[in-house]
Amino acid sequence: MLSLRAAARNNGSPVSLTRHIRPVTRPIHTKTVTDADIARLAAKPLHPLTLADLCKHGHPPLSEQALFNSANFTLAILPSRLAHRIQSLRALPYIVVANPNVSKIHDNYVHSLSTLLPIAERKIESLKDEVEFTAVMADLVQTHSNTISILARGFLEARKYISKVEVTRFLDEHLRARIGTRLIAEQHIALHFSSKPHQKLSDGHDDDKMDHDSYIGVIDTELKPANIIRNCEQTVGEICELKYGVRPTIDIVGSPETTIAHIPMHLEYILTELLKNSFRAVIEAGTEKEAIEITIAPAPASPEETKETKNKAGQMAHAEVGAISNYDQGSVDYASGSNKPDISASANIRPLREATPGVTVRIRDRGGGITPENYEKLWEYGFTTFNEDEINEKVSGSGGGGGGLDVMSGGPAGGSSLAGLGYGLPLGRAYAEYFGGGIAVQSLHGWGTDVYLSLRGVGKVD
Amino acid sequence: MLQTFQPRGLALDTLLRLPAALRVRAFATAAPSPSPTSAQSPIPPPWRPSTVLDEWVGREARPISLRQLTFFGRSLTESRLLGSANYVRLELPTRIAHRLRNMQTLPYSALTNQHISHVYELYYTAFERLRKVPEVRTMNDNDKFCDVLKMCLKEHLSVIPRLAMGILEIQDSVSGDECDRFMTTLLRSRISRRVIAEQHLALTETFHSPWHFDGKKSHMSPDDEFVGEIFLKCNAKEIIEQCAKTASELTAKAYGPDVAIPKIVLQGHLDTTFPYIPSHLEYIIGELFRNSIQAVVEQEGSAKPPPIEVLVCEAAQHVIIRVSDQGGGIDRDILPYLWSFAKGPRRKKRLQNLGQVPQLAATMQELQLPPSDPDVVGATGEKFGSPLATLSSRPPDLRIGIGLPMSRIYAEYWAGSLELHSLEGYGCDAFLQISRLGNRNEVLSTRATMDAV
Repeated sequence: MLSLRAAARNNGSPVSLTRHIRPVTRPIHTKTVTDADIARLAAKPLHPLTLADLCKHGHPPLSEQALFNSANFTLAILPSRLAHRIQSLRALPYIVVANPNVSKIHDNYVHSLSTLLPIAERKIESLKDEVEFTAVMADLVQTHSNTISILARGFLEARKYISKVEVTRFLDEHLRARIGTRLIAEQHIALHFSSKPHQKLSDGHDDDKMDHDSYIGVIDTELKPANIIRNCEQTVGEICELKYGVRPTIDIVGSPETTIAHIPMHLEYILTELLKNSFRAVIEAGTEKEAIEITIAPAPASPEETKETKNKAGQMAHAEVGAISNYDQGSVDYASGSNKPDISASANIRPLREATPGVTVRIRDRGGGITPENYEKLWEYGFTTFNEDEINEKVSGSGGGGGGLDVMSGGPAGGSSLAGLGYGLPLGRAYAEYFGGGIAVQSLHGWGTDVYLSLRGVGKVD
Repeated sequence: MLQTFQPRGLALDTLLRLPAALRVRAFATAAPSPSPTSAQSPIPPPWRPSTVLDEWVGREARPISLRQLTFFGRSLTESRLLGSANYVRLELPTRIAHRLRNMQTLPYSALTNQHISHVYELYYTAFERLRKVPEVRTMNDNDKFCDVLKMCLKEHLSVIPRLAMGILEIQDSVSGDECDRFMTTLLRSRISRRVIAEQHLALTETFHSPWHFDGKKSHMSPDDEFVGEIFLKCNAKEIIEQCAKTASELTAKAYGPDVAIPKIVLQGHLDTTFPYIPSHLEYIIGELFRNSIQAVVEQEGSAKPPPIEVLVCEAAQHVIIRVSDQGGGIDRDILPYLWSFAKGPRRKKRLQNLGQVPQLAATMQELQLPPSDPDVVGATGEKFGSPLATLSSRPPDLRIGIGLPMSRIYAEYWAGSLELHSLEGYGCDAFLQISRLGNRNEVLSTRATMDAV
């Protein structure tokens, strides 16, 4: 059953990274995953990843040997990460996992693990193996691209059987781990395509834009937030014009020419979500003529971490000495309860020690602010202002009139629409926090809202 | 004087026969001690029987709220005033007793710190004095009681800087978090006690004023702006402008005429009014302005520094004041300690600076406080000796590091909040949220938790 599914999966997908994989001439090998396998893999402590790990194989284009190193490294850490996810899913109440949507996600993880196990038995030492491995990575990325919307649906359907607190706890952990897993996979795929062996193979037909000097895999070392903001302004603005007939504008102040090293996909997702909120607010408040003010503030270069902050971090977060937890990074989201120290120490990828300075983006709108009642629920997954009937409509998928800003194909968050299921803000924050940044929302009810997005550069690479 | 216990040890015996004021000074190791025992090692406070304290600690404090205070003061009669006097007479010792018990349970090494023990002695003296006041039955009794109150208020002016210094010094024996908790509880209780006391004093004064007619309800017409200490119609715009003027002048004096001071620009719902105690509000906003102005001035100064933008936003239940500056934001290494009294990397400097403030406060007892501008509505804090005014008028280069945590305690005391967001390398946004107490939605249970027993 597993291998049939695997074969059926590789249709030409719109995901850009997989389009260059020629149709696989033989199906991806799978091996049945036993409970013993899962237990064995999950028992291994998670390797504390750093971005240095992802970048250590060298600056693209990678040589053949460097490519093999990258593949082997990825192969060494992925299976246990997947096993942890499976275990954590299995820890949910039976009746929740029995929901068809949640159960599908569980099966997806088991499937992905099954495709990895045969390869994990030996090291990758030939180009043929490496191509096969990359195909498996692409399959992984593709399989799990809709996880969030499917999980969201599942939890919505099962909301009677699990408390909000438990859902939040599970999702906070799961989604953060997912960000890391996808990052590892996508990084290898990107490195593969920009590598020397691949360039040789494709004989220069491949004019993919992966040959930018500033890119290391999916990391753009010269990412300009102002560009991403303008792009998102276009996208979201167009939809507003379609649905509401008006298009709010943005004023960028501060230092628009700032660049940081970050992952464009992530930033695009976060900014799209934040702009969606602001645009809709100003339209509904009638102040769309007033430009939304976005301030880009680059942080000064960080000095060597002082001993005191290390101690304070140690005191507060019980992290290993020298570990960079989310607390000591000047993260704006200092008070966020979601920065659980033990999670950040294990599942997250930590930024490089000498992190390049970050940037803070402040979005100020005059959309009337957030009511105190709604403010409490801001960070809940699936917080909606819909009543029971509208929820049922959404769940059954017949909410065609949703349209407008509800239907946005998110990039890394996953394929089709999140259909206004209330995941935008918490997920955006998960992305921001992943490298030590954060999102804080300050509501001035009766006037507008200020949102502070702080991003830590993902680090210096030589 | 107060000899109701068995003293232990000869030296203590002699010491304790001194009048209260001298006793206090004798125990402060800063001053030369008449005791034959060495003045170098910390002198522990004298032993006292704990039964007296136990009795008062066993009582519950009754929470107060702005609404109650306002309502109570509206129709003042002699019997109501005496009722108020008796309420105060019992509330204050109860609350002080709880604080004394808190202090007694601190580690020994912490309480014997010279500053902490000085404050402890002050508190104990006040406790002894207040618990012995007999029931107030006549206006004469009330007048005597008011004198006692005024004395207590005056004596305690130096508490805040002393406590702050003590906290910084005992970092080795007490953790930062515990210090913060201790300080917060103490300060909150202190606010309550002073408000209760000052309110009663103000009501007494109103009662005695030539325009008061006993029992007539209309004497407190809705247009009357003050009910005791509470100004019913604090106007955001006026207070902000006043604070801006003061803070700018202070900074200008300190940095000299060559430095350009940033302008403070207002926008938003400027006509908003709400009931509040003006001295508290002036303190908080004053602190925020000082921080902002200083930050901007200390950046690579340009001839035209970017203005500080203040926004007033009014909603049904809150008023929010946002202060935005472009002063470069907050350094990463002090960000974790922003709201703490137990400072991190800057501890030594803060300690030094704090040492210069008590002199200010101590001399206030003899000096006349600078008279506030009588034309400015709302400046009433100076009547009974305002510790806040003392702190607010300190020179700007005296960084003592308690402005933000103190402001937050004051803000939260009246069910508000104070939040700060820093754009590192650019500037800071401070958000002061004020609850419009006095409306129907105020819940007494919040007061009970705020009114730290």
